[in-house]
Amino acid sequence: MQNISRRDFGRLALASAVAGAGVSAGVFPALAQSANPIRIGFSMSLSGGLAGNGRAALAAQQIWASDVNAKGGLLGRPVQLVFYDDQTSGGQVPAIYTKLLDVDKVDLVTSPYATAMIAPAMPVVMQRQMCFVTILGAGVNTTFKYDRHFNMNVVGDNMKETFAKGFLDIAGTLEPKPRSIAILAVDNDFAQRAAESARFLARQRGMRVVYDRSYPPSTVDFTPTMRAVQAARPDLIYIASYPPDSNGILRAASELRISAQMFGGGMVGPQLAAFQAQLGPILNNLVNWDIFSVEPTMNFPGVAEFLTKYREVAAKEQTDVLGNYIPPYAYAQMQVVEQAVKRVGKIDQAALAADMHSQVFDTIIGPVTFSSTGEWAHERNLLVQFQGITDGDLERYKRPGAKVILYPPNLKSGTPRAPYGTPA
Amino acid sequence: MNANLRFWLGAAALGLALVAGLRLLGNDYGYFAGYFVLQYVVLAGAWNILGGYAGYVNFGAAGFMAAGAYSAIVVRQWLGWDLIPGIFAAAVVAGLLGLGTGYLTLRLKGVYFSIATLCLAVVLQTLVVNWDYVGGSRGAYIIHARDIPPFNSYSEMLFIVMLALAIITTGIGRAVEMSRLGRGLQAIRDNERAAEAVGVPTLRLKLVATTLCGALMGVAGAPLPYYSGYLNPEAAFSLAYAVNAIAMPLIGGAGTWAGPVIGAVLLASLQQAATVTISSALNLWIVGWMLVIFVAVAPRGILGWFRKRT
Repeated sequence: MQNISRRDFGRLALASAVAGAGVSAGVFPALAQSANPIRIGFSMSLSGGLAGNGRAALAAQQIWASDVNAKGGLLGRPVQLVFYDDQTSGGQVPAIYTKLLDVDKVDLVTSPYATAMIAPAMPVVMQRQMCFVTILGAGVNTTFKYDRHFNMNVVGDNMKETFAKGFLDIAGTLEPKPRSIAILAVDNDFAQRAAESARFLARQRGMRVVYDRSYPPSTVDFTPTMRAVQAARPDLIYIASYPPDSNGILRAASELRISAQMFGGGMVGPQLAAFQAQLGPILNNLVNWDIFSVEPTMNFPGVAEFLTKYREVAAKEQTDVLGNYIPPYAYAQMQVVEQAVKRVGKIDQAALAADMHSQVFDTIIGPVTFSSTGEWAHERNLLVQFQGITDGDLERYKRPGAKVILYPPNLKSGTPRAPYGTPA
Repeated sequence: MNANLRFWLGAAALGLALVAGLRLLGNDYGYFAGYFVLQYVVLAGAWNILGGYAGYVNFGAAGFMAAGAYSAIVVRQWLGWDLIPGIFAAAVVAGLLGLGTGYLTLRLKGVYFSIATLCLAVVLQTLVVNWDYVGGSRGAYIIHARDIPPFNSYSEMLFIVMLALAIITTGIGRAVEMSRLGRGLQAIRDNERAAEAVGVPTLRLKLVATTLCGALMGVAGAPLPYYSGYLNPEAAFSLAYAVNAIAMPLIGGAGTWAGPVIGAVLLASLQQAATVTISSALNLWIVGWMLVIFVAVAPRGILGWFRKRT
């Protein structure tokens, strides 16, 4: 390298100082903030692959904050959300949570959306012994075994024995009785656990697994895969997929005119408004895992008002326009925090965790209790069926009848229609 | 004083000053943010050895880095060894991977070599996704101790380890630049046929460079699972690593040992600052614009821009 002159060195130093000033502004924004609010910190995927769900969750949490503040705040103090975009990159998460806890000195922390973002936050949160209410993680605490972790997810503690139970229970009511199943899953954590459950329960019920394959997340053309599924002539087709692939799989199934007594399973995507608008009648008779539907059996106190507020801001914030998937759970996640803080009467992490372990939470998605591992004490995997879908009009999803709940029995709002692949 | 001694003493003094400064600051965020920046110093320095001196653009940085990260995970699962043995294992595995890749692909030139390295990352990711021992698509968890004396915290230890790796990488980059190896690589970059005609052992030098480059990229990745506590294939093979590994030396000034350091410190600090200030998709937009501006105004990086003006 050539020698750098003193003048060059001065210029470099100036450039570093300017860059450094930018960093410092990022490190110490807390200095510029005033009042004495209860500060709740979290990272959220506002850009990158999970941004669609992340932005919807954030909109719901902001509605919760404004609702609480309108009622006089929490413990008489206003609530303030402190959040940063993790860019759907797990590598950003530890730094963000350290900043929230050490620099911003937030009073409480909640989680970003989904396992891959929650897990990197765990060591930081555990080190500072914070109570941590997460959203839609899958088995994160199986490894960490942290007694102050609570997860808002319907899947509960034992995903293997319960996740696909609803799908197979519904199949058991069909005539003729299905005897074979095809399982197709994307190579990721959630889908592999879902496929494992379908495999385990199908074998337990003496069903023949005629096709059982995984595909890499980068797959774009599903025609050959779905042709192979079709060639196995299964009675049931169980798919565990993520949003981009769910679209490709359903389109390929439609083009190949695939028919089965039941089609669906654990697909992530059909829960979202964008999919419902795009796919329209292709969704008809699909039986799929879900967490919420606007059926009368799920009309818990407060959920209709929340959805009205959410839909008003959704268009402006460019998030999921219906909010029938994550938003009610994101709101409920904050309600869990709110109710625990109110009961305890102060910000005491140990007392909050003890409260969460022992109490029932009345939320807009129904009563919630947590098990010793922090998962829901009782799983509530919904199996819904799209019925009477003739086009991509989203208005029908605001009313009961379009996404009928078939399972669990206590929330059931309709009867199954078979087969999949018949026109509406 | 000898120039080498001056470099190492200066680097050690800077390192000590950084550690002391962060201890005075007294919060863990400084360590995490510092780790984030320093991992890019290592990655950019590693890329520079092959890309900067020899002109062979490696798009597979994420693949080598992930190879290092997963080597550390394997060493831990298999033998129960911790971070430091994991770093050595990562250097060996990623170095051998670099050597193998170099042997197979260095007959390719220009864009064809770059595509081959990109494919390597895809092949490795497919392998890891289907390898249950390291967690497969579900990802692997690393549970570490909360404190690790004599360090103040685990994050301080990780920061100091990454700081040491960054200094060593920069020192290796400088040593390569000053040596016959560096001059040979520069000759290859300028005109490979002419270099070969005058007796530069091109294949051997390129193999040394790919091995060194691979090993250092692996080293950059080895502490990653310890840093985040959890690693899944999407995070390990993130495109951000591949893009930053190229962008940082180019912005700082490729082909010089200080260029990758300047580029990495500038760009990674900006990214980290944008993450915790602007905190929206806008931060990617800003980084993108910065790249465009540098390519347009200072195509030879910051160092090249200063040299041109003096």
